[in-house]
Amino acid sequence: MSYEIQRLSEAEQQQLQRVYDDLKQLAQSSVPGVASAARAALAQVATALSGEGLAYELYSKDWK
Amino acid sequence: MPRDELRRRQWYKLQRQLEHAYAGSEFWRQRMDSAGCPPDQLKSLDDYSARFPLLKREEIGAAEAVAPPYGIFPSVDPKLAIRHHQTSGTSGAQPIRTFDTARDWAWAAEMWATGAYAMGVRAGDRALVAFGYGLFIGFWGLQYAFEKIGCTVIPTGSFDSEKRVQLLLENQVKVLACTPTYALRLAHTARQLGVDLAKEGSVRIVVASGEPRPEATKRKIEAAFGAFCGDTAGMTEAATIFMFECVEEPGGCHIIEADYVEEVLAPDTLQPVGYGQRGVRVMTSLGREGIQVFRYWTGDLVTRVPHSECRCGRTWDLYQGGIQGRADDMRKIRGVWFMPSMIEDVVRDFAEVDEFQITLEKREELDTLVIQLEPGAGLEQLDLRDRFGAEVKRRLGLTPVVSVVPPGTLPRFEMKAKRFRDLTQQPTPA
Repeated sequence: MSYEIQRLSEAEQQQLQRVYDDLKQLAQSSVPGVASAARAALAQVATALSGEGLAYELYSKDWK
Repeated sequence: MPRDELRRRQWYKLQRQLEHAYAGSEFWRQRMDSAGCPPDQLKSLDDYSARFPLLKREEIGAAEAVAPPYGIFPSVDPKLAIRHHQTSGTSGAQPIRTFDTARDWAWAAEMWATGAYAMGVRAGDRALVAFGYGLFIGFWGLQYAFEKIGCTVIPTGSFDSEKRVQLLLENQVKVLACTPTYALRLAHTARQLGVDLAKEGSVRIVVASGEPRPEATKRKIEAAFGAFCGDTAGMTEAATIFMFECVEEPGGCHIIEADYVEEVLAPDTLQPVGYGQRGVRVMTSLGREGIQVFRYWTGDLVTRVPHSECRCGRTWDLYQGGIQGRADDMRKIRGVWFMPSMIEDVVRDFAEVDEFQITLEKREELDTLVIQLEPGAGLEQLDLRDRFGAEVKRRLGLTPVVSVVPPGTLPRFEMKAKRFRDLTQQPTPA
């Protein structure tokens, strides 16, 4: 089995961070369907950011 | 990742975890204050390991009992939870209740996905999870991990073994997830149906979890399915797995060190033991925001070895042989250290034995190991008792009392097999 390491380019890293920031804002939306979808998606993107060592945050405490 | 960078990342995450717990959890704030180690007083990972108090299971129970279900333990409002799980409480102890936020659950699935991917699971694979899908967390996270990887998942919560064998064949299932005990039971059921899964099935990976899995059991599962059997282990208190066996089969499991700080301590002195020495696993999770555990005394017996013993290239250390047993199941019998998994190791080399039970009893004032063996139907052999007893004596240096019971007599298990009872600890009936 090959163990070649795949790495994000700098542009991809920035894209990922932008997606995270946008989702975090949308997670506070007053539209229930948008907020719930954003929160679910944000959770997935957060694991990708943490997995790549780019960001690590315990964010849900700010939500009502 | 180089290990010094890994340590830096662990320390960064741990600091954020401690700050979060101090701010959000009454239990953790009180504990850190009384131990003199609030987050701003801890200087390094080593300082943390030296000074932060160990957490015992009963303390979580007590913190939750203040105001059930979660009491003063959580670090975020439980209203943020998207799911609840709890331990069975079958050992007589109060069950441990936990919850996960959306963020926590995505992380839990990510840990399982890390392990499954390292075993060779890929998008497009068909996976069957043989698990009850109830309150117990078990393989719940793996269901979501398979989905995340891009597998087609076949959940078989309410199905019996015959139906599961049928589903394995009909759907050309490549990945099977279950306990080691249940994998053997499925193979046994298939044989009773006249099916040789190694020849007629498509399973190539068995993800085994939920019990210690001796090497002989791994070999038996691999032969029965014609597949690689990868070991993992997790716990309700962590929501997910903390280690996995990669396809290089290094004789143990990689610790997911990017998301856990793991220590191994001597059970008597509580001091760290070195590589290659057996001790009790102490876990700190760096993953969750709702239910957090710092320096949790798990009771799992492990032997840590360096990552360099595996060829896969990961820099995460290994637990040689996975979880070897439970500290509370370890006994000294007539001067010889004993763990139930040692008997399982012998059993798996006797192909005619389907199931077994072990008890430790007082006989004529002496601690005595009593073993019941159940052969498969049609496999009864007159000399089994003597051959098995001699093999235990040869490998363990103990002379057990062995009996052979009729096929179908002993209990079967889907999760967390209970095959050892210590009757010497029980009061003598009047």
